[in-house]
Amino acid sequence: MTSQPTPEIMSSTPTTQPSPPVSVGPDAASAAVPAAPAVAAPAIELAHAARWYGNVVAVNDVSFTLGVGVTGLLGPNGAGKTTLLHMLAGFLAPSAGEVKVLGRSPHRDPSVYRQIGLVPEREAVYPFLTGLDYVRFNARLQGMPDADVAARRTIALLGLEDSMDRAIGTYSKGMRQRVKVAGALVHDPQVLLLDEPFNGMDPRNRIAMMDLLGTLAEQGRTILFSSHILEEVERVGTNILVMVSGRLAASGDFRAIRTLMTDRPHSITIRSSDDRRLAISLITDRSVFAVELTSAGLSVQTAQLSAFRRLIAAVSKTAGVRLLEVLPADESLESVFDYLVRR
Amino acid sequence: MKGERPVGSIAAIPEIARVTARQLLGRRRTLLLVLLATLPVLLAVAFRLGDQTGVQQFTRRIYDTVSMTILLPLVAILFGSGAFGAEIDEGTVVYLLAKPVPRWMIVAAKALSATAMAILLTGAATVLAGAIDLGPAGNDGVLATEAQLLSMVVGSACYVSLFLALSLFTRRALVIGIGYMLVWEGALSVLLPGIANLSIRQYALGAAAVIYKLPVEEARLSAETAVLLSAILVVLALVVATWKLMRFELPGGSD
Repeated sequence: MTSQPTPEIMSSTPTTQPSPPVSVGPDAASAAVPAAPAVAAPAIELAHAARWYGNVVAVNDVSFTLGVGVTGLLGPNGAGKTTLLHMLAGFLAPSAGEVKVLGRSPHRDPSVYRQIGLVPEREAVYPFLTGLDYVRFNARLQGMPDADVAARRTIALLGLEDSMDRAIGTYSKGMRQRVKVAGALVHDPQVLLLDEPFNGMDPRNRIAMMDLLGTLAEQGRTILFSSHILEEVERVGTNILVMVSGRLAASGDFRAIRTLMTDRPHSITIRSSDDRRLAISLITDRSVFAVELTSAGLSVQTAQLSAFRRLIAAVSKTAGVRLLEVLPADESLESVFDYLVRR
Repeated sequence: MKGERPVGSIAAIPEIARVTARQLLGRRRTLLLVLLATLPVLLAVAFRLGDQTGVQQFTRRIYDTVSMTILLPLVAILFGSGAFGAEIDEGTVVYLLAKPVPRWMIVAAKALSATAMAILLTGAATVLAGAIDLGPAGNDGVLATEAQLLSMVVGSACYVSLFLALSLFTRRALVIGIGYMLVWEGALSVLLPGIANLSIRQYALGAAAVIYKLPVEEARLSAETAVLLSAILVVLALVVATWKLMRFELPGGSD
């Protein structure tokens, strides 16, 4: 468990606990995300960290602490995830606030990279190097005495033995992702930062990578990975940080946040053989809190999407109305995140 | 926390230099540079067949007109601006920056690699062309070839250092470099003799006199001044490059 400077947000809850509390909206801007069994101090600490480029605010007043374990950094494109990871990796100075990794600022301190592994979002890896050459290159720059042994061990961990003597330029997108992870892992870092690590991976490799991250966390590492896909977080870790428009919109257990996302108000447009009759039947149900007749059909607001799915079939049958079209009106990931921010 | 490993091992320099060399060699434009490097050799063959050899003629027609004016600046500016430029453009610079390697070592490795490659290409062309044309000139021919080789070494180090540093400030280092070559060195330094102190071409021409006084009318700096200014330029450029690399920031990208 991490130390808990903000107990109102998260209590010291192990990852295995089924329903830890969740913080959303403005309160989430300051969160301590528990991850795993106790460590003396948080590996990652952000205190009111902000980063802006001219008039554009990329990260805005974000505070959280992370200990050992896997945490998913979730958010739509442009949310500020990469900026946040680059601040943690020491590549960007915070414009305001404080960023610490293993108790010190990573900015302009190359020695911190002995304990940090970084997997960047960009796909580029030296295409002329073989997989083994690349991982060995990373090991040598880390000053490892047995670079070759360490490289081969990490290559095996990522399941790249069969292709380690091939030039990376011939690798598939998923293989390039894996060799990037191998390069970041070869020196056995305490903190692993991964920017969209599952991009381009096929489902089998994705699951293998997720399991690997889980295993690495169980061995005592702090792992933070970004993703814009909620399902990617599900298998890896129970803790997530949700970023929207540069702010921390929610933090805590992913299942609770997922429930919030699912049971938020949904807008559904329905076309049927008799919209008026269907509206009268629907409004009597508690899961529906608004119905509007529009030129496009019936616009229904519901707070419980799963319950509504069951309801619409039964109600239309009872009312003798034929359903022509049922369309969710606001299912984009951005709208889900926007809801979390407004909440 | 794992055991602390030594940071900043000098072994990082050859590792980074090796990868830089492969990165520069793998670019399509390097093939064009190799073709360009054959130009002095082909000209030397042509003059030799026409029996128009000699230190005077060779220096004017090949060394001054082709090697110093086109080959050396183009090769060294391309390698210098590409040493970091390619890594920044392709995004691989992150793999160097995320290592516990002092930034001066990264800069030194890149500069060494790009300079060595520029010397290899321009030097090979110079020696080969000299051997073809200046063989009959006896000792004078040998000394003239060695002096021209020294020009390539000094010029390569200066151009590479300057444009390597510039590439950390702007993505247009190559364009600026070609502009510098054509406008500053090609036109202004001819019209305004006073700017010789700010011309890498003049440093390279002047440095050759350490070995042999080549018959180049344009050379305006003494050997001592040229060597001193070259050393100052290289050190200054690499210090500035290190300073900039320590402050180098990666943008946030699309996220």
